[in-house]
Amino acid sequence: MTDSALLWYLNRATGTVLLIVFTLVVLLGILSTFGNAGRRVPRFLTQALHRQLSLLGVALLIAHVVTAVLDTFVDIRWWQAVVPWWGSKYEPLWLSVGTLSLDLMALLLVTSLARSRMGHRSWRAVHVLGYVAWGAAVAHGFFIGTDYQSTWPKLLTLACVVAVGLAALARSVSVLVHRSHTRLERSLR
Amino acid sequence: MSRQPRQLRVDWPSCLGRGLCHEVLPEVVELDEWGYPVVTGEVTPDLLADARHAVRTCPTLALRLVKQPKR
Amino acid sequence: MKQIDVREGPRLLAGYDEGPGLTAHRARYGPLPDLDATTLVRLAKQWDIRGRGGAGFPFAIKLEGVAGKRRPVLVVNLSEGEPAAHKDAALALGRPHLVLDGAAVVARALGATLVHLVVPGENPRVVRAVRAAIAERSDTRLFTIHEAADRFVAGQARAVLELMAGRPNLPVTAWQPEVFDGHRGRPTLLSNAETWAQVAVRVLRHDEDAPDTTLLTWDGETSPMVAEVVEGTPWREVVPLDGPVLIGGYHGAWATPRMLAGLAVDRDRMKQTGVPIGAGAVIPLGPGECPVTMTARITAYLAGQSARRCGPCLNGLPALADAVAAVAWERGGVARVEHLQRMVTGRGACTHPDGTARMVGSMLATFPDDVEAHAHGACAFALDAQRERELVAR
Repeated sequence: MTDSALLWYLNRATGTVLLIVFTLVVLLGILSTFGNAGRRVPRFLTQALHRQLSLLGVALLIAHVVTAVLDTFVDIRWWQAVVPWWGSKYEPLWLSVGTLSLDLMALLLVTSLARSRMGHRSWRAVHVLGYVAWGAAVAHGFFIGTDYQSTWPKLLTLACVVAVGLAALARSVSVLVHRSHTRLERSLR
Repeated sequence: MSRQPRQLRVDWPSCLGRGLCHEVLPEVVELDEWGYPVVTGEVTPDLLADARHAVRTCPTLALRLVKQPKR
Repeated sequence: MKQIDVREGPRLLAGYDEGPGLTAHRARYGPLPDLDATTLVRLAKQWDIRGRGGAGFPFAIKLEGVAGKRRPVLVVNLSEGEPAAHKDAALALGRPHLVLDGAAVVARALGATLVHLVVPGENPRVVRAVRAAIAERSDTRLFTIHEAADRFVAGQARAVLELMAGRPNLPVTAWQPEVFDGHRGRPTLLSNAETWAQVAVRVLRHDEDAPDTTLLTWDGETSPMVAEVVEGTPWREVVPLDGPVLIGGYHGAWATPRMLAGLAVDRDRMKQTGVPIGAGAVIPLGPGECPVTMTARITAYLAGQSARRCGPCLNGLPALADAVAAVAWERGGVARVEHLQRMVTGRGACTHPDGTARMVGSMLATFPDDVEAHAHGACAFALDAQRERELVAR
C-alpha cells in the first residue's frame, strides 16, 4: 500500500470509529440525566465513562485531521481543520461542516475543563451545543466522499442517528413531563 | 495544608438530587427518601480527596467544601 | 382586605388618629435631626433595638456592619409576608413617616443615596399609602419602591434582594450574610419596618429613658387588632387568657394560658422561655379548633407556600403537613412527624422549612395530652380548656 493510500484508510477508519465513539458519548451524556440513585450502574461511573470516551474521541479526532492534512491525494490544508470554507478545494461544504463540528467540540472541551469556574448555567448553555456538534459530525461523515452509496456506512449512520434520536426524544419527554407536573402543582395551590 | 475538618454545604436551589455525591462519598453523604443529600458528618483529612471529587462530580455544581462550621 | 383596628400607643402609635400626613407628623415629632455615623452607632448600641421582623437580630450589629463601608444599601421591609401580623401595614397606613424618618436618618449618617422600600404588592392600600407619604417629603428621591409578591417567603432577606435585582421574589442560597455581601455584592442593611420606626422614635424624641415598646397583632376572629405594648407588661393585661395562643406568627411557638399568666411581654425573657415574640403576632385558636388541628391547618398552608426551589422543602413540607394532619385526624403516629421535622431542618436555602418544623415541634412539646388524645381518636382540648380557665382564674 502506498503512503497516500495508508493515510486515506487511516482517515476513513478514524472517521468511522469517531462516528461510533461520539454517538456513545452523546448517549452516555443523555443517560446520565435519567433515573435516580440506586440504579445498577452508579451515576458517577456513567459520568466518568462519558468524560473518558470524549477524551478518546478528541485524540481520534486529532489523528483524523492529521491524516487528512498529510494525505497528498486530497488538498486539505492545516487551517481548514478549524476555519470553515476559506480557500477550501476538496468538498468545501461537507468539509466545513466537519470543521464546524470540531470547533464546537473544542468549545465543549474547554468549557468542561473550566466547569467549576464557569457556573452551571453558562456551562450547560454551551454543552447543549454538543447535539449540534454530533449532528454536524454525522452529516460530514455521511456526505463527504462516496461512502454513502454503500450499505454498511448507511446502516451504521442510520443506527447512530436512530439511537441518539430515541434517547433525545426520551429526554425531551421527561423534561416536558417534569415541567407540566410543576406547572400543574403550582396552579393547584 | 490545614488539618482542620471541613464541611460540605449544598446549594439547595441547584441540587437536583442526582446522588453522585452519595456514590462518591457515602461516609459523609446519605440520601433522604426523595434522593436529596443529607450531610451526616464532617470531612476529615482522610476523606478530603473524595470530598473534592464529589464537589467536581456534582452535575449541577451544587456542592461546596467550606472551612467554617455550619450555622 | 381586612380593616385593621389600630389602638393608640405611648410611642410609635402616639396620636395615631391624627392621620398619616407629614404636617401632623412633624407637629408631633419635630424635624429630623442629622447624626453622623459614629454617634448613630454609639446610640444604636445603647438603644439595643432588636429586629422586629421575626428573627430579633440586634439592629446595632447590622448598623455597625455597614457603617464606614463603601456604598452601603439600606432596605426597609414592609412586605409583611406573615399573614397573622398587621403591624407593618398599620405603620404604613398611619405612621409612614416614622418608618421613612428612621431610614432617612441612617441614610444621611452613612452616606447612602438610596433607600429601598419593599411593599406588599397584594395590598394596594398599603402601597398607595407609602407612595403618598414619599411624595410629601422633601427627600422624595431618597426612596425607591419594590412590590413584593403575594407569598409567605416574599419577605425573606434573600428573596427581597432577588426582587431588588429584578429576579423572581424567591430565596436563594446565602453564602454570606447580606451585611457583608448583599444587593449587588454591597454591604446591605435590611430591616423590618417597625425596626426603622423604633430607630426614628428614639432619634426624634430623645427619650432613651422611656421604656421600650413593641407592636403586637392580635389575629382574632373579627378584624385584627394592632397595639403598642410597653415591654414588661404582663400578658394577662394584654391578651385574653382564655385559650392557648400561637405567638410570633406561623413560625412561632405555642403558649398556654398558664404559661402566659406568669410571663410578661419581654423579648429576652420570652426567647429564653422558648416562645419568642418574633413578628409580634398573637394567634388564638380558630372556631372549633384545638392546637393539633390548628397546627395541621397552618402546616398545610406553609407547605403550599414553599418556594419549591429546594428538594427537601418541596418534598418534605407537604409530607410534614400530611403527617401532622394524620396525627390530627387519622390517629397517625408522632414518629413520622419528628422524622420529617429533622429532614427539613437546615436543608434549604432559607429557614421556611426550619420555622415550620419548629412550630410543629412546639405543638408536640406543649400539648402532649392533646396529641395523645388524638392518637385515640378523641380530643383532650375541650376538657383542658375548662381546666386551664379555672387554674388561671385562681
